[in-house]
Amino acid sequence: MSIAVEIDSLTVKIKNKDVLKNVSFTLEEGLFLGIVGPNAGGKTTLVRTILGLARPSSGSVRVFGKSPEGHLVRGGAFGYLPQHQNIDPGFPASVIDIVLMGRYNAVGFFRWPGKKDTDKALRSLAVMGVEDLKDAQYTHLSGGQQQRVSIARALAGDPRVLILDEPSTGIDVVGQEDFYHLLKGLQKKMNLTILMVSHDIGTVTTYVDEIACLNINLYYHGNPLGALNEKVLTSLYGKNVDLLLHTDVCEKCERLR
Amino acid sequence: MIEALGSPFMQKAFVAGILVSILTGVISAFIVLRKMSFIGAGISHAAFGGVAIGFFAGANPLLTAVLYSVAVAIGIDFTVRKGKISEDVSIGIFYSLSMAIGIALLSLSQTYNVDLFGYLFGNILAITPEEIVLTLAVSVAVSGFIVAFLKELFLITYNEELARVSGIRVDLLNIVFLAALSVTIVVSIRIVGVIMVSALLVIPGATARLFARGLRSMIAISCAAGLASVIIGLVVSYEYDMAPGAGIVLTAATLFFIPLLLKRRS
Repeated sequence: MSIAVEIDSLTVKIKNKDVLKNVSFTLEEGLFLGIVGPNAGGKTTLVRTILGLARPSSGSVRVFGKSPEGHLVRGGAFGYLPQHQNIDPGFPASVIDIVLMGRYNAVGFFRWPGKKDTDKALRSLAVMGVEDLKDAQYTHLSGGQQQRVSIARALAGDPRVLILDEPSTGIDVVGQEDFYHLLKGLQKKMNLTILMVSHDIGTVTTYVDEIACLNINLYYHGNPLGALNEKVLTSLYGKNVDLLLHTDVCEKCERLR
Repeated sequence: MIEALGSPFMQKAFVAGILVSILTGVISAFIVLRKMSFIGAGISHAAFGGVAIGFFAGANPLLTAVLYSVAVAIGIDFTVRKGKISEDVSIGIFYSLSMAIGIALLSLSQTYNVDLFGYLFGNILAITPEEIVLTLAVSVAVSGFIVAFLKELFLITYNEELARVSGIRVDLLNIVFLAALSVTIVVSIRIVGVIMVSALLVIPGATARLFARGLRSMIAISCAAGLASVIIGLVVSYEYDMAPGAGIVLTAATLFFIPLLLKRRS
């Protein structure tokens, strides 16, 4: 298996303050990585650095052996779902228009998406289970529907790496489990490398292959179950962390019987 | 009105007005979606400084205005990055600075120039054949740029970071867009003047935003709204012997507010 992302002693400073400090890890191709940690812990900065949108102050980032800036020039390596979309409520685009944006890199300059691109966009919508929304106005959709359409957009360009920043915002708890399940299926089917930022450490651990616990420093990287101990969580989130383990049998209920 | 169309000055006014309305209609759709209306107003006032430089140096005022406006557009962007200040502050500085340069140069040259009012409030009836050729050239160049990069501009308008990840040279396209905006403003100044040109940059796009369901329909409606404003505005100002620039802007505003008030809540 080849290495998808290789990060070596990465430090990123914004306004002379460390946002990320001495972070190193590697991620193999085809794995699903969850990036968790408290707010302002540098999660978004880490993915932006991998995408080439933020620059390292020191250290290096390689994606499939190339610098992120190299990937930016060509485009198309990443499917990206930003955390905040801040979209104008009157933005004139149907759902299919938005998903076709994901094809622009493949279409190239001075051309407009053709039938092949439309078919690809419709398949991406079908994968996300929202193909019936194709002609709806994007801004009329609910938060959860917009999220699915945006991931369909990110998938439409056949990316090698899918980067999702807090994708479960706007999706209810039951929907979240389905959603993670769907991502897991995509990972296997398309041999996608997935990086997902989340503040919800609980549910994420069930679905991801590896987890990175980030609070400026990288506190833990590896098997998700290894992160669920009090030492890691206390250093990550500070004191007063209460660890609740969800198992098939609820211990408290058993005791009450 | 029909006999007015027989006169060469009205014919030129209509040709120039139609060209400018289509040009600003295209640009206006993006100005509204990208929330750039203040930069439009800023550059149009800056163009006044450029016109004054032309008068002072004895050069063609439209040419100096084009060069100066493009420089201001780049200067606004540079100041935002270098000074880490917000764009509205940077625009505010260049806006007033350029007006001051204009007034300083005009008072230094001590020539009272009637034509200056033509630049402040527009003088579509005094437009020259050379200016029509310039307007046509600018219309072809700017529309060509927008058509060629329509999907890239659409993605930048939707989300700049996604555009970058998609391999689009966002900074370069933004600078070219600002240059296109600047030349559009300068050729439009002859029609409605420095003070009112921002109306043509904002109102047609705002009208289109009320109806449009896609980018292409938004551009088409924006052009149609601009075209209707110029034609109706010219006819009304001819009938009532009113300044044409004011007639055009009043029509554009009417075409925005009527559908706005009639629109049912969705």
